[in-house]
Amino acid sequence: MEMHKATPEERKLFYREEWNKREIPDFILHTLSLREFGFDLDGTGPSHRYNQFITVEQLGDFLRDRAPYSAFASVALYERPSAREGWLKSELALDIDAKDLPLKACGCLPGNVCERCIDEARRIAVEFAETLAGDLDLRNIHFVYSGRGFHIRVTDEAVMGLEQNERGQIVEYLTGGLIPTDITMALGYSKVFRERVARTFSALDEEKLLKVRGMRKPLVQRLMMEKERALGAIRKGTLDELSSFKGMGEKTFRQLLEFLARTNLGFTDGKVTIDTKRILRLPSSLHSGVCMKCTLVRDIERFRLDDAIPKFVREAEGK
Amino acid sequence: MFASEYLAVLDPFAEEAKKIVEASPPVDAMPQEIIERATNRVNWSNKEMVVEPNPESIRSEILSFYLMCQGVASVSYPYSREVRMISDSTRNTIRYRMYDLFKRGQEELCMKAVRRSIKLVELEGENEAKLGEVEIPREDFYKLRDQELEKDGIDVVDDRVLHQYLPRYAVRWVDLAPLLRHRRVELTKLYLVKGWAVLTLQDLWNFYANIVSVRTEEYIQSVNERISESGVPSNVLARVGERVSALLPKELTTERFAMMPSGKLRPECFPPCMKLALNGVGIGLRNYAIVMVLTPFLSYARIAPSGKVATRVADFVKDISVVQDEIAPLIFEAAERCNPPLFKDHPQEKANIFYHMGFGMATEPRLGDSGKSKWYMIPNCKNIQMSASPLCHPDELCRKIGNPRTYYFRKMSEHMKAGAGE
Repeated sequence: MEMHKATPEERKLFYREEWNKREIPDFILHTLSLREFGFDLDGTGPSHRYNQFITVEQLGDFLRDRAPYSAFASVALYERPSAREGWLKSELALDIDAKDLPLKACGCLPGNVCERCIDEARRIAVEFAETLAGDLDLRNIHFVYSGRGFHIRVTDEAVMGLEQNERGQIVEYLTGGLIPTDITMALGYSKVFRERVARTFSALDEEKLLKVRGMRKPLVQRLMMEKERALGAIRKGTLDELSSFKGMGEKTFRQLLEFLARTNLGFTDGKVTIDTKRILRLPSSLHSGVCMKCTLVRDIERFRLDDAIPKFVREAEGK
Repeated sequence: MFASEYLAVLDPFAEEAKKIVEASPPVDAMPQEIIERATNRVNWSNKEMVVEPNPESIRSEILSFYLMCQGVASVSYPYSREVRMISDSTRNTIRYRMYDLFKRGQEELCMKAVRRSIKLVELEGENEAKLGEVEIPREDFYKLRDQELEKDGIDVVDDRVLHQYLPRYAVRWVDLAPLLRHRRVELTKLYLVKGWAVLTLQDLWNFYANIVSVRTEEYIQSVNERISESGVPSNVLARVGERVSALLPKELTTERFAMMPSGKLRPECFPPCMKLALNGVGIGLRNYAIVMVLTPFLSYARIAPSGKVATRVADFVKDISVVQDEIAPLIFEAAERCNPPLFKDHPQEKANIFYHMGFGMATEPRLGDSGKSKWYMIPNCKNIQMSASPLCHPDELCRKIGNPRTYYFRKMSEHMKAGAGE
């Protein structure tokens, strides 16, 4: 997948010919005038803040006129968005950025993304959304392909009034970022934790495992050789089976779990979730850094990167 | 038989309690026994927490509760050690009363109090549990029970106490948001099924007691802000507050008590209005912003007076350098940043700043001067909004507080809890 920066001409072309207001999701469109809009006009950062648009036509005029490098809208709704005052409520947002995944099997360089790690980010987004809908029983969960990963944006009224602390705890729950009191329960957080730990553990190689405090080489080699057995034990919650690996004392096991929990926390940027005034890339806009469209994903299971390639890129590639 | 008035004993913020407060004598005419009870309740034994079901005992209980809260509000600040101490003691008291009433067969009364604050459903089934269509696996059911028993250090299962450790209820997790916010409950420690948190009776007592405890803190905050506006509190309140404060342990042993906000100022915790004032303001706003708002804010935030009514800086600091080297330079720099600089055309305002900290009209204050003038309180948000609206750019937290000082101490408390403290 080739990604390049959009030129100012390409941006103009995109907003003049291709940008379509119908691609703005309803959950944003219906609250458009209550959101703060931010723009990065020239690629130096989103410093053009405190914008309010009463109608989508006004927003369209702005985009066509300025062809910004990036466009953002707040997760928060305000009484006075142009002053960022009178906070009413905020979506619950999660940012799963493929370039920042703590473990990448694809081997692409830090800060880079490839189709494989974007798909990995997609799978993580699916897992998080399943827990949001299952354990937390939330509705109105939307996926947005951001250009380098995925945003989950929840507009369920039940969570829109939550503050930073509660949102931070949701991140811990979804990621499996804390060791539960009892790891063996069939349902609840215990199950979420085991699933997340299993995913992380399966992506670890010998080199990374050796970085865990207390893990000696013979134990690491044994775990690698019998990875499937170890994974099975984690998934089933029969953790005493893990202790049967020679060299895995109680302390080492705890240190391994702590390492895995810490790694789990890195699969989403918690700062985004707890920030109730965050601006997120506007679905329908162009991610000029990678020449991809930030787009609402209606069916996350069937998402294809091709759906987010702008027409001007496709035409240039002769597709 | 317990009358419904007894609900006030389980929830001092219930209508039944409010009626008692409305009919109470003025604070200055409060009977001595209620004053004593207000002070002593912080250190009650379990036996003393129990209130007899008669109107006089209920009345005495409620009035002493409010006297304790108002007393502490008059000598400390939100999120202070005093506030935490009485918040904790209130939680323990309510929890014990729930336990005691259940033991005495008054389950219905307890549940009535709980249901006013928490929407809950009962699980179906006896030794297993169904929650709508979801069946809680039998193994999980017993593991939840065993976890509860372990928390209380109980090895041998006794039929008489067992029922309180069995999962019996479920509440929507989002209804527990106030407890999650104050970290009284952790989401990852809840057993969540389809949006429901499964609870034992013991959990229910804990959660309910914590809800009352959080409300107690909020109530003290509101009283504190009222006092900030009206000036010096009554002698009775000050005396009760000072006596409660004197009960604080000298050693800061627990993590929660290690949240002393006095000490180094943390500008990242300042409310938006103070950040603006620190950057200097324009003509027409300068005097009010620097002298009336920033000066009391920085002095109260830095010194964090608690234990007695804050009338003199010298009662809380032993070294004038706190004022001269830490507080005053920040104020002077902010005055210099004003447009035009405040002291350029109003040099007398320098002395006025120390005057507002209680040192009289001095430019080189000494600790001995403390008390020569009044140590001005920080105006409440609504006054700042009216007198200096350009200073007021409220953020999310501003909506929940009524005084900039509350904002600062709350932010400090959150930072400390999040481990960002020093």
